[in-house]
Amino acid sequence: MLSIEELKQKACATIEQHKDKLINIAKDVLNNPEAGYNETRTAKLVSDEFNQLGIPHRTGLAMTGVKGSIKCGDGSGPKVAVIGELDSLVVNEHPHADPITGAAHACGHHCQIGMLLGAITGLANQDIVGSLSGEIVPFAVPAEEFIEVTKRLQLRADKRIEFLGGKQELIGLGEFDDIDIAMMCHTAGDMGEKKFAVGGTSNGHIVKYVQYKGRGAHAGSAPHLGVNALNAASFALQAINANREIYMDEDVVRIHGIMTAGGEAVSAVPSDVQLEWRVRSSTPRAVLKNSNIVDRCFKSGALAVGASVNITNIPGYLPMKHDTTLKNLFFENASALIGKSNVIVIPPENNRGGSTDMGDLSQIIPSCHPYTSGAVGAGHSKEYLIKDYESSVITPAKLLAMATIDLLATNGGKAQEVIANHTPNMTKDSYLRLQRDIASEIYFDGAI
Amino acid sequence: MFSIEDLKGKAFQQIDSRAEEIINLSKEILVNPEPGFREVKTSALVSKKFSELGIPFRSGLALTGVKGEISAANPGPTLALIGELDSLIVNEHPFADANTSAAHACGHHCQIGMLIGAAIGLNLPDILSTLSGRLVFMAVPAEEYIEIEYRNSLRTDGKIEFLGGKPELIKLGEFDDVDMAMMVHTTSTESEGQLCLSGTNNGTVAKKIQFIGKGSHAGGSPHLGINALNAASLALSAIHYNRETFKDEDTIRVHPIITKGGEAVSAVPADVRMETFVRGKTIEAILDANAKVDRALKAGAMAVGASVNIQTIPGYLPLRQDPLLAEVYEPNAISLVGKDNVGHISHRTGSTDMGDVSNLMPAIHPYVGGATGLGHGATYVVENYELAVITAAKSMVATAIDLLYDGATTGNRILSNHRPHMTRTEYLTFMRNLDQDETFKS
Repeated sequence: MLSIEELKQKACATIEQHKDKLINIAKDVLNNPEAGYNETRTAKLVSDEFNQLGIPHRTGLAMTGVKGSIKCGDGSGPKVAVIGELDSLVVNEHPHADPITGAAHACGHHCQIGMLLGAITGLANQDIVGSLSGEIVPFAVPAEEFIEVTKRLQLRADKRIEFLGGKQELIGLGEFDDIDIAMMCHTAGDMGEKKFAVGGTSNGHIVKYVQYKGRGAHAGSAPHLGVNALNAASFALQAINANREIYMDEDVVRIHGIMTAGGEAVSAVPSDVQLEWRVRSSTPRAVLKNSNIVDRCFKSGALAVGASVNITNIPGYLPMKHDTTLKNLFFENASALIGKSNVIVIPPENNRGGSTDMGDLSQIIPSCHPYTSGAVGAGHSKEYLIKDYESSVITPAKLLAMATIDLLATNGGKAQEVIANHTPNMTKDSYLRLQRDIASEIYFDGAI
Repeated sequence: MFSIEDLKGKAFQQIDSRAEEIINLSKEILVNPEPGFREVKTSALVSKKFSELGIPFRSGLALTGVKGEISAANPGPTLALIGELDSLIVNEHPFADANTSAAHACGHHCQIGMLIGAAIGLNLPDILSTLSGRLVFMAVPAEEYIEIEYRNSLRTDGKIEFLGGKPELIKLGEFDDVDMAMMVHTTSTESEGQLCLSGTNNGTVAKKIQFIGKGSHAGGSPHLGINALNAASLALSAIHYNRETFKDEDTIRVHPIITKGGEAVSAVPADVRMETFVRGKTIEAILDANAKVDRALKAGAMAVGASVNIQTIPGYLPLRQDPLLAEVYEPNAISLVGKDNVGHISHRTGSTDMGDVSNLMPAIHPYVGGATGLGHGATYVVENYELAVITAAKSMVATAIDLLYDGATTGNRILSNHRPHMTRTEYLTFMRNLDQDETFKS
């Protein structure tokens, strides 16, 4: 019987052996980016690799998700999900953008597929799984990036999804019902000299699809007959900005969006103006409060010029809550692997400002979402590139494997400890209730 | 029997012989400026002149108005010649009152001169024995729509109902015995010539607006406040966003000021006040723009969760001058200053309560030159008193003679062709309906 240390060494050695292949997989995904719920090629790649590793799995979960199963010991015991996100962003100007779709891995998810397969490659070995108890669930999940709202609303209308985020949808489908613990690792480009970071939190959010309807008219000859939907939207944006002074610093409020339709022709009074908007805050309560303020602003825009507005409120993500034991496991393993001085421990209240649907999962089951270095450039921008694949793929693959070994070795004792010490913020049912309540339509007619 | 030309000659001669006295009256008013409903000294001067001329009059009408009247020997229609008593308030004007800042930056002091000049010219036995009808000389208060706060207090005290002098006089019935009205206003616009015929003026409503937010420490707890200044600022933007829907031909003017914008920088402003006019060429256009302004004000309040109180106060109606009356005036203007010096403008975008009068009866409101500088500004001064007072007085006198000569044939023809836009009752109903006080809570 191998000791935990020996198991970790074995897993890491296997990963090291397959290093080139794993990095090439990440680069292959990089060069074939697919936005959320569209990740067919990436999902197939994962499925093929699972097949090569002899891992039974199901595909097509929440459109494109791939969920494997590695039974350890007799299969009884805790189930640990190792997650990798399949989807890319859409950043037209990114050097690795798809020339047709504009999809681009400007957030490093391609490395997550590399590290997921790396961790599994390291663990899928009879010596190791024979020494562990429970089940390892390698899970490639779709649509973490909350983008292309109109496309996804169409998927929703077509009943192909209920939620616009991949993990949300998988929770709704029950694909996390059997999971006790979930973990993943995300790349980062802002760590300075450091290599790995644990802790911190992220914002929750609500997503809005906003449509102003005015009245078209010849902008030169009869503007008085028109109702300018662009002016309505423009006023609303001013109103939103005027409210910034009332947001609480501790709520880490981020309110931002884009205009996806701003008029058809300069010569016509814009009558159909559409926006995708996002209201982020550090707590679900603050998200709701600030979302209401933003709704009021959008309505005031309609009132300002006598247009109408329809606001589709779409449940977004919840704040990330890292499980302390899991966080400590990653800290210890990272310290051992790359040196303690290279590991950052972020205070729990330190909010990155962004959002992830790993936050949703973390409200229900013990979860961890550490960051690994290797990227440069601002996240979600055309400058975001992976410069150090060793740090972005290989190190986190090893750390995910090591944490899995810690959790499931000695009859899954550590995993049991995590489960026992964890107080979930929500049950799956209360989570779904909250999110389904947010899903709403608000119509307001500002005509005199 | 005197000919028309005989009568005009006699009147002109009389005016010319007392030109210095008439001009001095205007200059005395210039250096004793009084804003609307406060024209006590100016009103007393008018009364004194009527007394000297032996013209019976009543004073204290709409607080300070003075109405003199003389009847010609024969029956006929009543023509009112009007002069406005009030000044503006323009601190930096060279003739501003040191204490009140009142200043004649719109030339009304010349109107009183020309009114008295016209009375001097017409109050002659040869003229009165020849003409048919009555001549009413009205010195009217408060044409400038200013000091809304003060006038509202007069309204609260029951001293006036309307904030403009002529609307108040109409309500009091002082125009009930008048069939036609005319006045002449000074202008500093050179292109308008020495005497200028004009067509229409914008009407207006006035608005007093209060945004009510919630005070809070602006540094310590802005999240507990509701910023009424942001509401007002956004409301201004909302108004601007509607400008493209105003039609050129409606000549809409919306030009607000903020009269209170917060108490201290360190507190979230909770009480912000605005005033604005909403002007337009037709009543329909004013009402349309007014509704858009109300909506915009509410949008500002809604944007930040404030409340807004909107008080809409009837202002002035669009001026619609009677074309036939202008046809009578024009040859007199030409004979006084020469064809090349008679200007024509179709529309002005300012407002006057002569507009209200013009919705009830044939009226004209031509312009006389002699002023320089910008109207309502510190630079507006009258330089040519001979033109601005004496020539203007003669133009009114000559027109009055034309109208009431020969059994008032011309005057009666104008009256029979005129269809008043409103009756006095309709006018008062309309004005009282405009009076609105609405609070919008978001």
